[in-house]
Order: sequence, then C-alpha cells, then structure tokens
Amino acid sequence: MKKIKLVKPKPPVRREKNRSKGVSQWNIAWRRFKKNKAALAGALIIGFVLFLAAFDALIAPYPPNATPGFYIGEARVAPSLKYLFGTDYVGHDVFSQVVYGARSALYVGFGSAAIAMSIAVLVGLISGYYGGFVDNILMRTTEIFLVIPFLLILLVFLKVITAVVPSGVGGLSIVMIMIGLFSWAGNARIIRGEVLRVKESEFIEASKALGASKRRIVFRHIFPNVLHTIIVLTTLMIATAILVEAAVSFLGFGDPAAITWGQQLQKANEAVKEAWWEGVFPGLFITLLVLGFSLLGNGLRDALDPRLRE
Amino acid sequence: MARKKLLEIENLKTYFDTWAGIVKAVDGVSLEVREGETLGLVGESGSGKSVTALSILRIVPQPGKIIEGKIIYKGENLLEKTENDLQKIRGKEIGYIFQDPATSLNPVFNIADQLIEVIRQHQKVTKKEALERAIELFRLVEIPDPQIKIWNYPHQLSGGMKQRIAVARALSCQPSLLLADEPTTNLDVTIQAQILQLMKSLKQKLGMSMVLISHDMGVVADVADRITVLYAGRICETADTKTIFYNPKHPYTIALLTAVPSLVLRRDKLSVIPGTIPNLIEPPSGCRFHPRCDYAKPICAERIPPLEEIETEHYVACHRVLEIDLKSPLGADAND
Repeated sequence: MKKIKLVKPKPPVRREKNRSKGVSQWNIAWRRFKKNKAALAGALIIGFVLFLAAFDALIAPYPPNATPGFYIGEARVAPSLKYLFGTDYVGHDVFSQVVYGARSALYVGFGSAAIAMSIAVLVGLISGYYGGFVDNILMRTTEIFLVIPFLLILLVFLKVITAVVPSGVGGLSIVMIMIGLFSWAGNARIIRGEVLRVKESEFIEASKALGASKRRIVFRHIFPNVLHTIIVLTTLMIATAILVEAAVSFLGFGDPAAITWGQQLQKANEAVKEAWWEGVFPGLFITLLVLGFSLLGNGLRDALDPRLRE
Repeated sequence: MARKKLLEIENLKTYFDTWAGIVKAVDGVSLEVREGETLGLVGESGSGKSVTALSILRIVPQPGKIIEGKIIYKGENLLEKTENDLQKIRGKEIGYIFQDPATSLNPVFNIADQLIEVIRQHQKVTKKEALERAIELFRLVEIPDPQIKIWNYPHQLSGGMKQRIAVARALSCQPSLLLADEPTTNLDVTIQAQILQLMKSLKQKLGMSMVLISHDMGVVADVADRITVLYAGRICETADTKTIFYNPKHPYTIALLTAVPSLVLRRDKLSVIPGTIPNLIEPPSGCRFHPRCDYAKPICAERIPPLEEIETEHYVACHRVLEIDLKSPLGADAND
C-alpha cells in the first residue's frame, strides 16, 4: 500500500504592499524613462556636470583664476599631465577654469529657466483659461517679445545695465536675469495652447459642475495636466539659456569677472591656431551640457506624454 | 399625488452666439422636477437636453448664454445668484454625472484625491474624515475592495467602474437633485443595466430627485417617473411614463417610440424618422417638427403650438392633438 503523503497547504499568497497604491502617471513615466538609453545618457551628463560644480574646489588642481603658469613661462602650453587641458595666454590652467565654469553654466541655466518658465507658466495659464480680453492683452504682449530680435535686444540691455550698475555687482546674475526676462514668450504660447486643450476636457467641466472655483480649476486641475509640457520646456529652456550665456560672453557682453565657458571661448578666440586647447575644451563642455539637457528633455517628452501608453 | 416642486424651469432660452449665427439650442423650455421623482428628458441628439441640464447649473460652455427664463430651485431663482453662491450649490445641492466616464475624471489624480476634493469643498471635514466618507461612498456604489480601489488612478479602472465613481462623486455631498446626462450611453449593455439599477436604488435610498437625460426610450422607461420629450429646443410632450408609452399624443413621441428596436413588436426593418433635426440657427417656423411630421397642416408652419394640458398632468404642444387620433405603437394601455 502506498503511503499517503500529507501535503501541507501552502500559505495564501501575501498581497504586495504596493497593491494598495495606484500606479500614477509618475510611475508610468519613470518606467518609460528608464528604457530610454539616450535620455539616461543625458541625465548622466548632467549628473557629471552637477558633480563638477558641487565639488569644483576639490576637483580643480588650482584655485579659481590662479595663473600657475604665468611666472614660470608656461603660458599657452599644450595639454600635459601637469595641465590636463593645457594653459591659456596668461597661464590659467584650462582644466581648472573649465571645472569652475560648470557652476556658472548651471547657475545661468537653472536661474534663467526658472525666471522664464515662471513667467511663461503664469501667462500661459491665465491667458489660456480666462481667455477673452485678458488673453488678448497677454498674447499681444507675448508677440511683442517674440518679434524683437532676441540676442540684439539682450546685448543692448546688458550694455546699458552694466553701464548703470557699478561693475562687479553680480554681473553674471544680471546676465541670468536678462536672459530669463527675454525668453519666456515662446514657451508661454505653447503652455497656453496646452491649457486650451485641457480646458475643453470633460473633467474640467465636471469639476466646474461639482462646485470648483476658477482658481481651483486653473491650479489644481489644469496645471497638473500641463505639467509634463512645462517640465520638458524647462529642460530645453535650460539648454537654451546656457547657449545664450555662452554667446553673450563670447561677444564680450558678459561678466568679465565670472569664470564661464563663454568667457574662455572669447579669450581663446584670438589664438585658435596656436593654442586649440584653450577653446576646444570649454566649447566641448558647452556642447556636452547642452546635449545632455536636450537628450533629457526629449526623453522626458516621450516619457511624460499621457497620450502614449505602453 | 402632486409632490412638492424641487426645481421649476420657466421659459428657458439658451442661445449660442456662433460665427454662423445664433443657435437656439434651448428655446422656451418649461419643466418641473418634484421631490423624490425621476424626470426623463428624451430627444434626439441636438434637441437641447444637455444644454437644458447645463443651464440649470449655469455651466453652459462658451459661447452659450442663457437669454431668458427662470430656474427656480427650492424657491430661489438660480439665474439671479452670484457665481460664488452657485459654487456652493453645484456639487452640494445639485450633483452632475457626465456622459463619458473615461474623460470626466481627472487622469492625473487618484480616485481618493478626487473624491476628497469634492467633499472638502463643500463640507468642513478633515482629510481623514473625508477619506472615510469616500470609502463609504465606494461601498454605496458597490465597488469591491474600496480600500484598495480608492488609490487607483482612472486609467486603471474599467468604464463601468469609472461611471460608478462618477456617481459616487456626484453623490458625495448628498445632493437633493442629481442631473445625469446620458450616464450610460458610453457603457455596454450589461453595465448599462447595472448602473441604471444602481442609480435607481440610490435615488430611493437617499431620497433625492433625478433628471435623467437620454436619447434611449428604453433607458428612461425603466427609471423615470415622468418623461419630457424635447425636439429642437422645445418641449413636445410631458406626461408620466406610462402615458408617454401607451397613450402618447404628440406625433414626434410616436415617431420616437416607433424607432425603438423592440423584441415585442417583431419588425423586419427598423423604422426611422425621415429627415434630421433642423438647423437651429434658422429653425422651421411654427411647430419645429412640421417638416418631418406626417400630420402637418398649413397651420403647423404658421403658428407655434402652445404647450397645453389635455388631460391632468399630460401636456402636449401640437395644433392637431384633438383632431388626430394617435395610437401608441406599443398598443393600448396594457395595465403595466
């Protein structure tokens, strides 16, 4: 006779703790983002530059604006182990200066983007939701900002302001603020368009029917639904601001006291043939960082768009 | 018999000022909803059913405008109230259910947040109390596992589930009146029956009144106590449900009933009402149904037929109501 095996009943499968929470749009976006190699590379580049900026004093072998090569005849020497990226015409260590430039680039990038996007979001939301007369006024203002030649007016304003404000008073901050103040218009229009799209949704009508006030509808219901656009635009705005700052500095309208990649490019300009390293390395970092933000922005666009779903 | 009036609409006119001209979407509608009853609002697409409902809460989308009329709710004219006062009535006194549950919930918030928001808008309760109330509502609309489901996002739920949530949201502050704008049109038939059953039992349980908008005679037959038939922004006929089905007097009501696919009346072809609903920018003169009406006479094109009470509680707007003897396609008054 066969022995009957007594099988212990398996304990019931425990529910994962996670199950009690829903899968939000953020969860979905993150899952999609993780799969996007290019976007991850972008994030990595930005992370790298952030790291440089955070620990610049530790990473850079020389203090800011130090001219270690000046007195010992090592100005404009080619990259070597001593000077990783070579030295420039006064003997600055290019590598150190590039490392210190990271902080300026991020400062201008994030600062300008914060200013520009704050204005753009406010104008876009109000204009899109309230419509009518308010919309008309705001959009005409936006158009004025869109049609003025951006870089030209920026340079003029910088010239005037630096003439009025005593030198040395936060020159880089002025550049940052001016870039922010002049580059919101395009984004405001995009956000307005998104608001118009969301505004017609039935859930907006539903919340109106359930007694939500106008302000509540704008900030609590419309804003989160255009947030994905805002995030993407912000990322791309940062990239643009970094480029514009580099251009402004290169043209000699920036803050000469600040260490920025654009300033370095400008100084390198006169010696492109003899000392390529003076310009190539700052230029490379500008390109790298802008590329990083662009990749991240595009990745976020793909990940955050609620219309796409796996 | 005659219960107290909860809502009374008098001569409501809501027009849309479009580039093509003024669309008279609702043109002189008068109706009433009594306490504890369900009024069915029936008509083809574009007959002004939804606009009537939206007008009650004054949320007619741009460029719509209420031109004239009175909307008296609990003795007060809603058209004279300020926007602030109305916000306190919307959602609290009068609930609203939209047609498409897939789009009437905000996709970026979980269900708990959306319910809590509505509850906290109208009642002074803490977040925790509101959450408890929300879970209670989930039980009320018979959603299994409320503690888990409430944290879901709309995209994780099925259409029927979402409509249950929309019902829960509309009921969250125990309104006296529920406006349901084609609540089952976008659901499949079995779910449709479930939701209707649910709304019917909730109406009983909570003792509220309901306005059920539908283009489906079958749906209102099941739920409504009285029915108002709308055509091109005007009322054709108002009567209790049984009268509308077994003793209708307006040619349009008959046409609507004939067009319902039926298992009882075996027909080879579905009958249709010839033509389409008229252009509401330049509606037909006189009775708006006359171009499509089999019984039309010259007078129908000349004068607007008044809404007259031909029997107690049976209102018909037709010039020829007494001349033509109409029979319901469903047969005579079979006792239930």
